[in-house]
Amino acid sequence: MSTTSPDDLRSSHLGASDPSPLSAFFRDARTYRVAGQVVVVALVVVLIARLTNNLYGNLDRLNIPSNFDFIYQPTNFAIAENWGFDTALPRWRMLLIGLQNTILAAGGGIILATILGTIIGIARLSSNWLVSKLSTFYVETLRNIPPLVVIVFFSIAIFSSGPFPVFRDATELGLPFSDSNWLILSNSRIGFPSFSAERNIAAFWILVGMTFLFAACMWAWRTLKSTKTGVPHRRLQWSLGVFVALLVLWFFLLNGPYDWSWPARTENGRRLASGFGASSAYLSVTLAVAMYTASHIAEIVRGAILAIHKGQGEAATALSLSSYQRYRFVILPQAFRRIIPNLINQYLNLTKNTSLAVAVGYAELASLTQTSIGNGAPAPQSIILMMCGYLGLSLIISLIANVVNRSLRLKDR
Amino acid sequence: MTVMASEKLGLVSWLRVNLFNRWYNAVLTLLLAAVVVYFGYRAILYLFWTAEWEPVRANLTLFMIGSFPRDEQWRIVVQLLFLAVAFGVIWGAMIGASRDRAAQSGVPFSAESGWVALRRWWGLVLLLGVLLLAAWGILPLVLALGCMALTFSLRLMTLRLPSGARIYAWLLGYALLIASWQIVSGTGGSAWIWAGGLLAFAGVRTVRRKDLVPQLQMSLAAIAVSGAVAWAFYDFVLNGLIDFSGVGWDDWAGFHLNLIAATISIIAAFPLGLLLALGRRSSLPAIRWLCVTYIELIRGVPLIGLLFIANSLLGFFIDNDPFIEFFLDTPLSQISRAIVIMSLFTAAYLAEVIRGGLEATPRGQTEAGQSVGLSPWQVTSRIVMPQTLRASIPAIVGQFISLLKDSSLLSIIAVSEILRVRASVHSQGAFTTLGTSETLVFIAFAFWAFAFTWSRESQRLEKRLGVGER
Repeated sequence: MSTTSPDDLRSSHLGASDPSPLSAFFRDARTYRVAGQVVVVALVVVLIARLTNNLYGNLDRLNIPSNFDFIYQPTNFAIAENWGFDTALPRWRMLLIGLQNTILAAGGGIILATILGTIIGIARLSSNWLVSKLSTFYVETLRNIPPLVVIVFFSIAIFSSGPFPVFRDATELGLPFSDSNWLILSNSRIGFPSFSAERNIAAFWILVGMTFLFAACMWAWRTLKSTKTGVPHRRLQWSLGVFVALLVLWFFLLNGPYDWSWPARTENGRRLASGFGASSAYLSVTLAVAMYTASHIAEIVRGAILAIHKGQGEAATALSLSSYQRYRFVILPQAFRRIIPNLINQYLNLTKNTSLAVAVGYAELASLTQTSIGNGAPAPQSIILMMCGYLGLSLIISLIANVVNRSLRLKDR
Repeated sequence: MTVMASEKLGLVSWLRVNLFNRWYNAVLTLLLAAVVVYFGYRAILYLFWTAEWEPVRANLTLFMIGSFPRDEQWRIVVQLLFLAVAFGVIWGAMIGASRDRAAQSGVPFSAESGWVALRRWWGLVLLLGVLLLAAWGILPLVLALGCMALTFSLRLMTLRLPSGARIYAWLLGYALLIASWQIVSGTGGSAWIWAGGLLAFAGVRTVRRKDLVPQLQMSLAAIAVSGAVAWAFYDFVLNGLIDFSGVGWDDWAGFHLNLIAATISIIAAFPLGLLLALGRRSSLPAIRWLCVTYIELIRGVPLIGLLFIANSLLGFFIDNDPFIEFFLDTPLSQISRAIVIMSLFTAAYLAEVIRGGLEATPRGQTEAGQSVGLSPWQVTSRIVMPQTLRASIPAIVGQFISLLKDSSLLSIIAVSEILRVRASVHSQGAFTTLGTSETLVFIAFAFWAFAFTWSRESQRLEKRLGVGER
């Protein structure tokens, strides 16, 4: 009995008190563990099989095709955020555009929410009474209103004919000393300045790539030098400085590959002829979702800062660090590690919340799926595709989160 | 941190410490003060002068209960009265119980007065005030004040009860909660299952309280007896005498539906969420993976997508199935489908919440239970679960809040909750363009009042339960 596990011990003991091997089998805890799992899995399999069977039966009964051929059929309806989409293109192209619009809204929302949330979270701990009260007001208000209501509010009350007449009439905000506008506000689209490609684009981007590699080498060199000699590495300053300086140099050497494209309207004033136009639906969704998520991020940031041991801040003060230095070098780096997992969770929520755009008709995945079902696409398959799209996005964000988490944890040791 | 005014600084020094302590703070203060004054002025101007509140005022009933049959409205009034009584009784019993515990352990205890509680719930009180102002009649005022008077007087009365009689207060509270549900939904059909379940629950609690052994047998007996009594009462007494058919939830609408859909979903999701949480930490790999798959699948997709499933996919899975038809009345109504899906959705999130509580429960607790020879079931139900659930209560309340906010999404699949009602209000001739944003402000305020009050309560609970501090 030299290599017996506790389980063996138990069964051999039971076997000794009862000579029948069958009885020992029925008294063994492992039997029940396996049998229990088999029963549960079998039940789940039966349930799923039954439901799937029902699905096929009901599809047949209603003469709905049970395959995915519909994604090759023409879309037959127009999309607002179309990126040059033609209604004759197949439905899978339409779904890809939906995914692209989801990513655009989620990306814009994530950037905005992170900036706003961090600022407000820190502001809630400010020693300035007005600042901390205002950010508390923001958090307590936005966090407790359904984001759907906020989206609809933006779309109805702010970007169209509501009582907050910012955009009631198309407004053009001009550049000083020029005929161009830097911002056009109208109730369908908001025009921002953007860039227009002029000349030598390919050469410019090749040079940019090479410069990036050069900057990366610079980064590695500074790191190496710092580890060898102990001088401060300042690798960010070095590589960024070199990168920007060379970029400016290439820009002028290539005779200006890009130029500003100021927003301007077409003859009838309906559309934007140049510049970057964001639709009011996009802005409603992105702003509302970002503001909602920012209130949650603010709470996360605040909680993480409060969770840092008081002595850390006091030690920093004792070393006569300024309040900026205390945050930058002592508190925030420690808070960061607590913030990241929750922050990623909020990014996931935000991405899922962009599906609320259904209410204002921004052409992202969920609302295009809804329109597509209304236009004759079979509902089960369309919904499954949409779910796969969101699951894929969630998975990508979680993967990034895991990578970031792991790198942070390594530093911890 | 902000230095509080209560430290008795003079006004000038308070200003200097809290608003003008550095030059950049002074600049910030002045800038922000200008912004606050401007927007505050605009907000007040809007709220009290320029806003068109007529659509809200004229359609207040519609916003609150939607197209609920108008001759059956008394049911909701009675429901409110029942809830007020149940709330007062349970509140009093809870405070009484903690007073007893404090007395046992020799800790000084002072029950907070009702007025302090009212001040904590200022969000809800404000909403009530706004509603009364909009309704502007003697009847709503009497009803509201009557409910409040009932709650507070019953709270005081229950508090005075001797601790032996408190169990009857609990029973009365539970019974009234069920009755408040039944008075609206009627007493036919499956509604009695609810009543039986409640009575059984109350019976089990009574048995537990009296410390009668053996508890399991007594509990089972209590369930059987209360079920039989409920059934007999229904079949022989009520059925023949009074027609108690009520209004099924397919006819519920407005904010009433938002509140009830969220409540039902969280209650229905709880058992599944508990099982999923336990399954996710199970040592059996197949069960663990099933639970993880379910939780992550549900949490990876937006609720809207799941509601699309409720709307146009769920039917394909469960219709025309004789086995399912035996249990459910398929095809399910729109609201039933939505509530089923919302419960399945919430279960995944609740599972994560409860898992958090499980992980916060020290491993030594389980080991101590095992070492005194408790079975795995006893360890889970007697030692781990009470601590886990106690630690998860604040997060469960948080889940309820987010469910309440999410219930607004039901409007997208054409369930007539409050946002949907708003659309129908603006399809009336007089209000097609009038006050389209004012109705939204009102809806946002209604949600805010509930969510804000509940989140405050949840924070308070978190502090009182000492979550994360041990």
